[in-house]
Amino acid sequence: MIVKKILRLEWLQFTRSLGFQQNLFIKILMGIGLLFFAAIFMIFGGGFFFFAQKVLPETDPLELVNNYVIFWFLFSLIIRYFLQQLPVINIKPLLTIPIKRNTIIHFLLGKTFVSPFNFFPLLFLLPFSVVLLYHDYPPVNVVFWFLSLKLLVLSNNLINFLINKNDTAFYSIVSILGLFVGLEYFSIFKISLPIGIVFNYIYQQPLLVIAPIILLTILYFSTFKLIRKGFYIDDVIQDKKQKNVQIVDLSWMNRFGSMAPFLKNDIKLISRNARPKQVVMMSFLFLFYGLIFYTNKTYADMPAFLAFASVFVTGGFLMSFGQLVPAWDSEYYKMLMSQNIPYKQYLKAKWTLMTTAVTISFILSIPYLYFGTKIFGMIAAGALFNIGLNSFFTLLSGALNKIPIELNVKAKAFNNTNKFNLTQVLVAMPKIILPMLLFYVPYKFISFNAGILTLALSGVLGIVFKNFFINKIEKIYQKEKYKTIAAFSENQ
Amino acid sequence: MITVENLSKKYANSEVLAIERLEIPKGQSFGLVGNNGAGKTTFFNLLLDLIQPSNGFIKNHDILVHESEDWKPFTSSFIDESFLIGYLTAEEYFYFIGELRNQSKTEIDNFLTQFEEIFNDEILNKKKYLRDLSKGNQKKAGIVAAFIGDPALIILDEPFANLDPTTQIRLKKLLKNLTEQKNSTVLISSHDLGHITDVCERIVVLDKGKLVKDIKTSEKTLKELENHFSLVEVV
Repeated sequence: MIVKKILRLEWLQFTRSLGFQQNLFIKILMGIGLLFFAAIFMIFGGGFFFFAQKVLPETDPLELVNNYVIFWFLFSLIIRYFLQQLPVINIKPLLTIPIKRNTIIHFLLGKTFVSPFNFFPLLFLLPFSVVLLYHDYPPVNVVFWFLSLKLLVLSNNLINFLINKNDTAFYSIVSILGLFVGLEYFSIFKISLPIGIVFNYIYQQPLLVIAPIILLTILYFSTFKLIRKGFYIDDVIQDKKQKNVQIVDLSWMNRFGSMAPFLKNDIKLISRNARPKQVVMMSFLFLFYGLIFYTNKTYADMPAFLAFASVFVTGGFLMSFGQLVPAWDSEYYKMLMSQNIPYKQYLKAKWTLMTTAVTISFILSIPYLYFGTKIFGMIAAGALFNIGLNSFFTLLSGALNKIPIELNVKAKAFNNTNKFNLTQVLVAMPKIILPMLLFYVPYKFISFNAGILTLALSGVLGIVFKNFFINKIEKIYQKEKYKTIAAFSENQ
Repeated sequence: MITVENLSKKYANSEVLAIERLEIPKGQSFGLVGNNGAGKTTFFNLLLDLIQPSNGFIKNHDILVHESEDWKPFTSSFIDESFLIGYLTAEEYFYFIGELRNQSKTEIDNFLTQFEEIFNDEILNKKKYLRDLSKGNQKKAGIVAAFIGDPALIILDEPFANLDPTTQIRLKKLLKNLTEQKNSTVLISSHDLGHITDVCERIVVLDKGKLVKDIKTSEKTLKELENHFSLVEVV
């Protein structure tokens, strides 16, 4: 059987991939972590019924789920867009041998259905449905309702496939979700009501399971057609030619002296490659991190957590970009190492870039003044901490990172975890704990303002000793040089 | 000038390179040939301090390569495509290397005019990133970048591979001009015996990490090399 043969190739690709045999210990740890989260999900699923009954005794928990299914549906699409790894088969060698194109495509599509993203919802749905049955809901209805939702999850899977290359579709979904949430929140128009009615109806009429089946079938064949159309390496070749090169004059940056070449290069690195662009977008989202904490009353009495959140508001880019220095340059690291490059200038350039991003984030975070000067003071202190200390911790953890980056390939979930680095995690700890401590200790013994001041001063101190830190990190670069070169050139 | 003493590189329990002694005087055009696994790239990697020697040392103009970085300002190289920055256009890449070697933009522009023939209108002003160029054109860009800033030592690993015949001939001409001036030492490895005998005044043959022949190039050299390689057992 041909499918069996393709499956075998897939298996070999998996087991022979780099780092598969490395670090069994880490793998076990991660497995335990995954089981832990799965268990939490399941407990949540099982407990949701009782929880809902207690909080909203007049509403049927099932109806509650039905009402909000639409939000979960749209939100999971966004998550999938960012994180779900679309299946990639190296088609070139398969095209020239006698396997029917259709077989390969069916296989490819089939492969997407085994994604963890299709199983996560089950962790909630399954225990929830069991509890429903336990509470004497009619079994036929529950089972078919469950099936309908499962089919929708699978449809979601295919929709993600269809929109994956299409940013407009993605942004429309984001805006639709935003719109619905907004309208719902301000009670202008509750989309949950009509959608809830539809799903309640599906629950009442088990035969309506036919609707999601039809939806899934239509989606399957449209995806199939889409892939079939693009199943030639023509596309790969043409694609290369059409890309527009944007040349921006960056000569004004020459004022930065000896680190100018690196800075200019980093700007190009970020603007011309998929992965760094993704990081910039993610770090923009960090700006809103504070909203979760500042609006939640539970945290109002836990200022240490607020300090932690404040550091994140301005530190998104700093941390997500910085922890991958020098891996950003991994594709041409050998060249950099044999060129006339002083590490110090290289590091200073990255530091300047990161701290500039903190400054920009800080300016963008001015609207947080809405939550009062105390909160804003915290954000300001957090920004100083980011510039003065966090920048160096981040660069330090980056120096220990040995995973190369494919610049023009978006990062997806469940990828790149093979070479998980324990030292790196340990180095990352101060980033989280230190700001909390620096704030909390003086806050506890003196006052809130003393806490802010300490956090801010720690950052200033870091800036004063900047050269000391850079020298230390430079030493690590030198010490790790050969290991880093070897690790970065492994994937070529 | 390059001095190699007792140099060896071992991985696990196999020795991939072992050179007792080798001296390359300043201004020499030096060729390295050998079958796959002979240790050519290993030698270049050691010379560029990209890997550590298990034993012995290399001195580049009296600087111990694995201890100091002072050889970097006058040494340049093109080993493979990973020496290119894929998201830059060719010009941007040349300017970047130029900045690292203290060459202004105008100096680079002037410098590039002499390579028009090699570029063959396929490299400059193409509005293409290096990663989107063909393998051959990538190689051209990398080799030319290695000439930036009048380096005293130029290292090129298999410069002729992947190039079209016309470019191979033009590159040979270029390398010959460069070595005739005797300003730069040029180290080249190649699988093409014809090209390397044309360009290099001295040829060293490596076999399984050992130096087996050290020839001053003459008319008989090509024949000698061909005989050698038809007798060597294939690994």
